[in-house]
Amino acid sequence: MASQSNGAAFTRRGFIGVAGGVAAAGLLAACAPSGGGGGGGGGGDGEIKFWNMPWGSPAFNELDEQITLDYEPEEGLGDASYQVIQWANFTQTFASAIASNTGPAVSSGGGTQAFQFEAQDKIAYADDLLESWKGTGLYDDFLPGLIDTLKVEGGYAAVPYNLDMRVIWYNEELMEQAGATPPTDWPSYLEACEALKAINVYGYGTGAGAGAFTGTHALVSWMINNGGGLFNENQEPDCVTPANIEAMEFVLEMVAKGYVDPASATYTSANVESQWEARTFGMGYNGGGLANNIGGEVGPVLRVNSPLVAPSGDKGALFFPNSIMMYTNTPNQASSEAFLTYYYENMAPLWTEGTGIGLPPLKSITETPEFQADANNVKIIEEWQPIARTWAAPGGDALFFGVTTVDGTPAMDTFTQSILGGSTDATAALTRLQTAIEDALA
Amino acid sequence: MSTNTVASRMERARNGVGVSGGGSINPRKKKRISPRTWTLVAFAAPSLFLLVLLNLYPVIYAGIQSVRDGDLINPGNFVGLQNYTDVLTSRSFWNATRFTLIFTIVGVFGSWMVGLGLALLLRTKVPGGGFFKVLLLLPWVVPVVVSATSWNWLVATPQSPLPMLAQSLGMGNVLFLADPVLAQVTVCIFKVWVSFPFMMMMMSSALASVDINVYEAAKMDGATNWQAFTGITMPLISRSTYISWILMTIFCVNDFPTIFLLTGGGPVDATTSLVVLAYRTVFQNFQTGPGVAIAFIMTLVLVIVSVVLYRQIRKVNVE
Repeated sequence: MASQSNGAAFTRRGFIGVAGGVAAAGLLAACAPSGGGGGGGGGGDGEIKFWNMPWGSPAFNELDEQITLDYEPEEGLGDASYQVIQWANFTQTFASAIASNTGPAVSSGGGTQAFQFEAQDKIAYADDLLESWKGTGLYDDFLPGLIDTLKVEGGYAAVPYNLDMRVIWYNEELMEQAGATPPTDWPSYLEACEALKAINVYGYGTGAGAGAFTGTHALVSWMINNGGGLFNENQEPDCVTPANIEAMEFVLEMVAKGYVDPASATYTSANVESQWEARTFGMGYNGGGLANNIGGEVGPVLRVNSPLVAPSGDKGALFFPNSIMMYTNTPNQASSEAFLTYYYENMAPLWTEGTGIGLPPLKSITETPEFQADANNVKIIEEWQPIARTWAAPGGDALFFGVTTVDGTPAMDTFTQSILGGSTDATAALTRLQTAIEDALA
Repeated sequence: MSTNTVASRMERARNGVGVSGGGSINPRKKKRISPRTWTLVAFAAPSLFLLVLLNLYPVIYAGIQSVRDGDLINPGNFVGLQNYTDVLTSRSFWNATRFTLIFTIVGVFGSWMVGLGLALLLRTKVPGGGFFKVLLLLPWVVPVVVSATSWNWLVATPQSPLPMLAQSLGMGNVLFLADPVLAQVTVCIFKVWVSFPFMMMMMSSALASVDINVYEAAKMDGATNWQAFTGITMPLISRSTYISWILMTIFCVNDFPTIFLLTGGGPVDATTSLVVLAYRTVFQNFQTGPGVAIAFIMTLVLVIVSVVLYRQIRKVNVE
């Protein structure tokens, strides 16, 4: 009995001691500042944490990591580490990491991410970096007008990384089968749709379901094409304009005439691609990588159409200058800038080796033989990029915090689904959108 | 003076001391905490500490966020109950509440009816019964991401199997996800499909606890199968039924992936439930305060519903 009693007492004390120790250690760990030096952005010993997204196939991140890890900093500057951040819940991933100072020093991310964090004083402006690139020729290597799309009141919120274009695609075989010619303006677009309808093919292939934002992008593209858009020169929402009403009436006409798949409002991106693969979609707006994403037998017969001339005489389209941003939570700003300089000087293989990333921001990459071998990409860079505008259109091209209210937001989803469902009129839908954006900005 | 009088025993009973127990009945006397109690407290303390840290802290922090106008990073300024007022006066909140109600009622009772029906069927000894049980559990076992993708493949496009079937039956082009009403129906059916195995298991275990002799006695008294079901089975499994209703109500109200993966809350917000609305408000509109306020209102309603159903369980126990 005695031994049992002693044993029990020992176990209790031991357990309590260990439990207390573990709890204290956990508490201390939770309270301890993360990372070294300047917080979590630094990693160990001034290391620059670079977080990048899966912009292409798995080969993209493999090559990207290799480029990052091959970086050899100058004396006194930090090394770089690499982390892939999945698109699923990426907003939460970044927000929670940045709020707790365990985020990256340098990252890419969502199209409007830099403006979101810039408004919260978490972004290190790229003005000095861009200034330094003027002397090396890197600054002038960017495609025209691209850098200024990322300029906000305080400075450059980020550096352009890859271009996500919205362009009109058509299936060459189906167009031939329907006896249609590639459209040049809105009336000829309707004619092509009519011809495609005769062979049971939809002329305006789109989707606005769960996680599919291309449908929204396409509607805004029609607006911008007609000289419209969502924000005026004061960066205020200005949706109910004659140009926008005319554009939405055009889309509603296509819906009413049966040129739009009636289930489009809830198509996911996978559904949209499956419709292109099934040759049910013959024409429509999509991202610049559609042909490569579809592949198989249909991919090679997909062609990029030239930009249409709208009734207003304009030729605009929507694009997203995806960017790389630097954060104030860095062990050393000079290290962040040195790494980004290295990265931009060595990132060309991401495009020349066909990793699936969007279009390059640098002219030198678009001039490589590998890039020139893809006729669709060349057409996008030559014909679409010069006329493409950002969410800020028609008031300007420089993006700003307000665009976060329209990029993948519920208000835009609802607007797009109501148009594609044909259950509204253009003015009413645009008025509701205007109110929703104003409420979100309030 | 003896303490073992009727009056003193009554007093002991009122004070929570067994009538046969000894010891003082003086409530003023300070009760000494035994070493055993200290030991138990010490054993529980680390877990309690972690529970508080992991559960209570986020709730308190969220409560603070719900009365501020901050975002995902900055806490913002104190705005009192403004977020709650804004939420409760917005049309989108009441639309989402309406759909949440439909989704929950159909989800709870639909899955319960299917689950109970299958549980009753599975009581019958059939060859390969175990195999069927495993097969029927699959919708619950398979990750909802996989289920939602499969259902999307089944219904999304005109070339999908179910729209093709509907067309071949002369029903025309049925838009299972693109039509607002049909999308609600589809999402609810999907929820029932995902949830019935859970109900089936709950009901199976409840049915297993019912004494077979009671049925035999009822049969001898001339009771029909229906009378046996309504007069014996239902009352005897009512406790498990109420518990499963409470659990499924919580599952349905808090169900985010089922809806978000299948429709994203569309078309035109037709399938936006409160939890989807809260998510979209916080993570797509970046309005943390109103989003958390929605979550708190949901929690309050869930607590009320749970308490009502729990009282029902206690009532059943007393009866």
